Amino acid sequence: MEEYQNGSEGSFSSEEAESIVKEGIDGVLGGDDYSQNHVNKWTATIVERCLTQLVKLGKPYKYIVTCSVMQKTGAGLHTANSCYWDTSLDGSCTVRWENRTMYCVVSVFAVAIA
Amino acid sequence: MADLVKDKPQKHEKKVEKLPTDGTRSKEKAGRAKDPAITAPGVDEQGDDQGTAGMMENTYQLGPSGQFPVSAVSNILKEEITNTLQEEKYEAQRCQDLTLTLCEGIRNRVKELLIPRYKTVVLVHIGQLNGQGMQISSRCLWDPSCDTFTSYSFKNTSVFCSGTVYGVYFE
Repeated sequence: MEEYQNGSEGSFSSEEAESIVKEGIDGVLGGDDYSQNHVNKWTATIVERCLTQLVKLGKPYKYIVTCSVMQKTGAGLHTANSCYWDTSLDGSCTVRWENRTMYCVVSVFAVAIA
Repeated sequence: MADLVKDKPQKHEKKVEKLPTDGTRSKEKAGRAKDPAITAPGVDEQGDDQGTAGMMENTYQLGPSGQFPVSAVSNILKEEITNTLQEEKYEAQRCQDLTLTLCEGIRNRVKELLIPRYKTVVLVHIGQLNGQGMQISSRCLWDPSCDTFTSYSFKNTSVFCSGTVYGVYFE
């Protein structure tokens, strides 16, 4: 798997995960500018929020949530993921978000239990 | 104990039946020779990459037979990243391709370790060094006794790279 995609119904819903993640990011980064002092707290809050919301879905999955926040200085960034799992049950979702001073990329991986 | 005795004759059976795939079969057996209890009689779960969640018999195994080999995977990560990026300068298109190749390369090498019952997720970030600040964090909801991760970061004069491999146990 090179980019996020999983459309199989009855398993992992990437649309649901996407909306959960977007809410999480907006709630934390909202109107702020990049700040070295706060970024640690921000990333921690974003992943925790996303994780708790995902758990509330009550599905039999283990979750991995990753968040990267990068300051905008004109530098380039590439991210890729590759997964060895059961494609019918497991899935992932990646959300890219930006504002005036920073980029934020959040990835959610859901791995089925049993 | 009874399990082991029961499984052994059936293992021999399987080798004879599945002649076309004999190459892979014997490789797998070599990897799992220490643990015959894993093999479900008559059904093979490991060789099926597509992962059809079809009919499988009980193996009565409650946990992983061995721990996820964190040090081996760390070394793979370190080697792949260092060898690929040692002399690279940042170029947008090239780094985009490198990210994907690196990801697939790491995943394939981890697959070769044939760790039974573990799913893996590999995440790679490659970026340009431009004096910017960056934070990457992750949180996981899993079973900490079986599941684990390892990561490695690399930097040269124009490029930085951060790679992470997560290993998740699957019953």
